[in-house]
Amino acid sequence: MLEIDSLAFRYATSTTPSMSFSLTVEAGELVCLIGPSGAGKSTLLHLLAGFLQPGAGRIRVDGSPIELLPVAERPITIVFQQHNLFPHLDLYANVALGIAPSLSLDSDQRDAVDAAFARVDLDGLQRRKPGEVSGGQRQRAALARALVRARPVLLLDEAFGALGPAQRRELILLVKTLVTERRMAALMVSHQPRDARIAAERTAFVLDGRIAAIDSTGALLDTPELPAVRDYLGEL
Amino acid sequence: MFSFTRFFAVALACLFAGVVSAAQPTLVVYTYDSFTSEWGPGPQVEAAFEKSCNCDLQLLGLEDGVSILNRLRLEGDASKADVLLGIDTNLTAEARATGLFAEHGLRMNSSALPESWQDDLFLPYDYGYFAFVYNRERLPDPPLSLRQLVEAGDGPTLLIQDPRTSTPGLGLLLWMKNVFGDDAATAWAQLAPRIVTVSKGWSEAYGLFLDGEADMVLSYSTSPAYHMIAEQDRRFAAARFSEGHYQQIEVAGMLKSSKQKPLAREFLQFMLGSEFQRIIPTTNWMYPAALPATELPPEFSDLIDPSPALLFDDQQVARERRGWIDEWLEAVTR
Amino acid sequence: MIRGPVSAYPVLALLALVTLAPLAGLLGGGRLETADLAFWNSAYVWRALRFSLWQATLSTALSLAPAILVARALAHAGDFTGRAFVLRLFAVPLVVPAVVAVMGVVGVYGSQGWLPLGRSLYGLNGILLAHVFFNLPLAVRLLLPLWQSIPAHHWQLGEQLGFDVRQRWRHLEWPALREGLPGVALLVFMLCLTSFAVVLTLGGGPRSTTLEVAIYQSLRFDFDPPRAVILALLQLGLCVLVALATLRWQRLPEVEIDTAPILAGQHRRSRAALPLIMIAALFVALPLAALTLDALRGPALEMLGRPRLWRAAGISLAIGFCAAFVATLAGWLLLRTSADLARRGRAERAGWIETGASVVYVVPPLVLGTGYFVLLSPYVSPFDWVLPLVIGVNALMGLPFVIRCLGPALRQHQARHEWLCQSLGLRGWARWRWIDWPVLRRAFGLSAAMVCVLAMGDLGVIALFGSSDSTTLPLLLYQQLGAYRTDEAAVSAGLLLLLCLALFWLIERVIGGRDA
Repeated sequence: MLEIDSLAFRYATSTTPSMSFSLTVEAGELVCLIGPSGAGKSTLLHLLAGFLQPGAGRIRVDGSPIELLPVAERPITIVFQQHNLFPHLDLYANVALGIAPSLSLDSDQRDAVDAAFARVDLDGLQRRKPGEVSGGQRQRAALARALVRARPVLLLDEAFGALGPAQRRELILLVKTLVTERRMAALMVSHQPRDARIAAERTAFVLDGRIAAIDSTGALLDTPELPAVRDYLGEL
Repeated sequence: MFSFTRFFAVALACLFAGVVSAAQPTLVVYTYDSFTSEWGPGPQVEAAFEKSCNCDLQLLGLEDGVSILNRLRLEGDASKADVLLGIDTNLTAEARATGLFAEHGLRMNSSALPESWQDDLFLPYDYGYFAFVYNRERLPDPPLSLRQLVEAGDGPTLLIQDPRTSTPGLGLLLWMKNVFGDDAATAWAQLAPRIVTVSKGWSEAYGLFLDGEADMVLSYSTSPAYHMIAEQDRRFAAARFSEGHYQQIEVAGMLKSSKQKPLAREFLQFMLGSEFQRIIPTTNWMYPAALPATELPPEFSDLIDPSPALLFDDQQVARERRGWIDEWLEAVTR
Repeated sequence: MIRGPVSAYPVLALLALVTLAPLAGLLGGGRLETADLAFWNSAYVWRALRFSLWQATLSTALSLAPAILVARALAHAGDFTGRAFVLRLFAVPLVVPAVVAVMGVVGVYGSQGWLPLGRSLYGLNGILLAHVFFNLPLAVRLLLPLWQSIPAHHWQLGEQLGFDVRQRWRHLEWPALREGLPGVALLVFMLCLTSFAVVLTLGGGPRSTTLEVAIYQSLRFDFDPPRAVILALLQLGLCVLVALATLRWQRLPEVEIDTAPILAGQHRRSRAALPLIMIAALFVALPLAALTLDALRGPALEMLGRPRLWRAAGISLAIGFCAAFVATLAGWLLLRTSADLARRGRAERAGWIETGASVVYVVPPLVLGTGYFVLLSPYVSPFDWVLPLVIGVNALMGLPFVIRCLGPALRQHQARHEWLCQSLGLRGWARWRWIDWPVLRRAFGLSAAMVCVLAMGDLGVIALFGSSDSTTLPLLLYQQLGAYRTDEAAVSAGLLLLLCLALFWLIERVIGGRDA
């Protein structure tokens, strides 16, 4: 459903060799990306979202290429670790931006926003400003916006990296439920291999701008074949 | 946001509102803005002339005499002006050289000028003398001559204007040249240590003088009349210098390109008449050019007698000005 | 596809056109002979050039060094009573026409003043004093936001690492300062370079001759437009060189997306801060107080009843508002592109756009105005176009202020929110209405207020074109001075100061929002 085919990229200022990614994610599937810093995990997400331009390669969603589409027209929602919300708008407006950038919503759309708030357990906090809620609640609001945007691909760029273990677990499980419900293809970048165990069927190990290994999460983390994965995980 | 938009709309409306048109002929006079200001002769002159001319007199005020001439040089034949009023005798040669002025064909019957006036293009409306003004309480014994002012090493401190930017400044330069001739540079060098500062224009220097920054300021011999008449303050006086005082004569002329020549001539005639001339002393604070001394306000008789009047030929000023200014620069920066 | 806003290039082209066209008009209008060109290496021009550079460099250094200390003190002092007032006070010198500022400075340091310096006021001392009076407060206002842009995390990190004052300066404050300081220095340098009435009046004589005087001279008594244009181009070229040097020195910060929102007052208060602020405030306030006292001694009540005064005030305000609108709009369009380039790592080109928009400031309004006159007069009567021309030239002169006020805020905003906005498809009006405007309104407010106040105090163009029915407040003031009405001029000056203070408050409120 999300097919990445030899997607190449090279930072103009960097001496690192050029990157090339190939990966397929099915609808309803959550794939976790792990790997050392600078390996290219976030770069891959930014290429998919359209913030960076690939040198070559293809990105297909449901069979149609999207790499030439403008950022906003791609069937993709991305959630960052921080600054997902505009601090001067309340949570409701921040989520509503996902439906109508003009912020003029008809009653169906307003219902959809309220439903999304309920779905992510934020009911009642609609009128709060981002500064007045917890970090977990802010990320829930960002997920609510992803829900109302209803794009088939969801990218999580260390979205829960700043949260505690319990909250992180809760949110990853929430993401997993939403991904299954809405049949989305989801890619989650994380620094914590434990995150992968919570909900990802498959985990990919990214090294030097390539998907160095991909396997079911259990297999990759418990019996890694690649020495680099063993080094990365350390404790094994 | 919305208030800002409203502000802007109102501002625009203020700016471009209302251009009045009239069926009467319009006479456009370029002059300087202290002539048109509410304390200047402008408002009274306009009212008086419009009473009799059945016309609309438009006085457009530019920065000063030099700006008026430069504006004309830029506009050339296409000038909107019918009459130029406010250039002085230091500029008449250059104004003549533009070839844009028409002969006025008028005669001055009752000249109050110390010299006889013969000029086909320009007619004087007022004149004055440059002089150093001082406060009697602060300076009881002012110098009696320009030479004494220059030579007294511990003499009074001075505020003057820059001849590159101001008319009085140029006036002093010519005054010094007239009195000291080829020794002017030496005289300037002697004077330089007592010059507190050289300002851009008359206003800055006079303001500093009133603030008590120096003993004397370069101004006009008629300046004390303002303090006497408007402020009933008799402390200020102009120092009379025995060599005489350099003169400034302000003139007007009509343009060849004017489509209102009879009206322009009528205005020049009016300018020499007693109604216009009586407005001058207490608005422009100068001597009217065509009004007998007996008709001046009584305070004017308390002013110094600046004779003899010193004046270079206007052609000579036009020719030598640049060189003299360079000489001055050299002398005072040494 | 990433498409950066391309709006900068049309605006830059327009800017070049409105600056260079009048110069070309003047060059073409006059007769240019090769003999005329010899003057430019005359001793006179070189002396003027040397002195311009020397006094501008000294003035800039003497304005910026204390300004850094004061801005730092303000950043460290937290929220004390009177902070808002001090900041507004620091905006007032911008509006003061040079002739009035000279009176204020003389009122304090003149021989009859409160702190008499006697004859030594006239000369380099006086020039520097007046320039610091103008530029210290301006620099403080422009530098202060740089401290506010240091993320709270960094302060906390510094505390955790046990930084002392010097290390804090080196690791936290200086890196933040380096982004903005060169631009502010360039602006102050340009303001001092083109200063004219202050230099002549307080400079003590023609020894203090700047290039601006030479330009003025060649366009007035000498009436030699080509010479004026060449001197103006010399001044422009000089400024481009200085801009090049500052640009080289400038480091735009690496864009870091993960900065925490700013939390003010996280760090320890410094004990030296308040006295330092007091001294600076006093330095700025004293000349203004001298002017205010003069205004109160004048026939204030009688004058306030005169429609002419209010009419002049109204015209000044209208010019101020319009110039502020035009300059802010143009500046915003330019900065969008430059911020976008900076975000994408092309800081050098971003810097060029901002510099290009700033250096036009040094083309003297007298030259621009005369050039426009030459260009326009064959087609329309410039008398009917006085106000649009005055607004246009003042907007041009206000552009560097917009660049300095709005630039850093816009860059930070872009760095934080650009990708999010793109991924949400926010653009056009919706993006402006919901995102850009609410985040940037404070910076917009400050820019607009500065340009407005600057244009209100302008004397350059309006007197040149002249028109009896568009007398502005500074022009009225000048006419009063020219007609011996020093007391009335003092009242006008007082009203101008008061209007400026009120306006700053109002614009920052209306545009900047409640919490500005």
